[in-house]
Amino acid sequence: MSRKVDLEVVSRLYQKAGAVRLKMDIEPRFKPGDRVRARNINPAGHTRLPRYVRGKEGVVERDNGIFHFPDARVAGDGDQPQHNYSVRFDAQELWGPGAPATDCLNIDLWEDYLDNA
Amino acid sequence: MSSNGIPGPDSEVALRVKAMESLLLEKGLVESSAIDELIDMFENRLGPWNGAQVVARAWSDPEYKAWLLKDGTGAIADMGFAAVQGEDMVVVENSAEVHNMVVCTLCSCFPWATLGLPPVWYKSAPFRSRAASDPRGVLAEFGTEIGADAEVRVWDSNAELRYMVLPERPAGTDGMDPEALAKLVTRDSMIGVTNVAPPG
Repeated sequence: MSRKVDLEVVSRLYQKAGAVRLKMDIEPRFKPGDRVRARNINPAGHTRLPRYVRGKEGVVERDNGIFHFPDARVAGDGDQPQHNYSVRFDAQELWGPGAPATDCLNIDLWEDYLDNA
Repeated sequence: MSSNGIPGPDSEVALRVKAMESLLLEKGLVESSAIDELIDMFENRLGPWNGAQVVARAWSDPEYKAWLLKDGTGAIADMGFAAVQGEDMVVVENSAEVHNMVVCTLCSCFPWATLGLPPVWYKSAPFRSRAASDPRGVLAEFGTEIGADAEVRVWDSNAELRYMVLPERPAGTDGMDPEALAKLVTRDSMIGVTNVAPPG
């Protein structure tokens, strides 16, 4: 039985709700500047890897730190904490030559979504 | 009185919410004080007026702006805005060269602590798909024209970080204090779908 939602539970939401980022010592597989390709995977369950980046090549811009891997958690496969990166994709890589050459998109991707390009 | 202020019976959704609230209270799963607190939180304390104060301070204080862009979470917490869905914040700066815009293509992730709950259009499938694939088209529909030589950068906040745009300070605001500046800053400008209009 989960805890009753009382004033204290709700009040905690308004205070610092505890960073989601994990303080762990895990070596990152990628570093800013690395060229990476999002894996072309099609999991049956929950994923934070949208179809529009699957198979596309981008550049790691920032290591966001370590977070639980939601795909695994939702599937009941544990937390599988790992690095998450802000990856920059050119708009033309995602949407073809009709997209403006000036534009790009950044998206936060977990390590298990990425291979070296 | 219906929930949208128009005289008449409650909408089906409002009735359903009332029925669920009664059940949760009767079964002792939720306390009514907790519901009151939640409503007060989202009506009065979490909203774009928080983000506007952050933007106004960044416009007024170069050191604070540098901190905000480097460590959004820390700099925003310094203003007292560190609630749920604002645990790990990234602030991106608009300039003449780069126009940033935020979307969550997978659902509705949004920085509650600084901007409150997301507007309905932000959660709609057409915005979520077109903000990624045709950001300039979406911006034009919001009346925001970006020059062909400027870069449009979309941030898909699909994971754990929450994004907020630091809009460009408009012309004609020299000498305005942070309090006056904050009144110019809109929610949409901090999502990046509009710019902040000059005063007047």
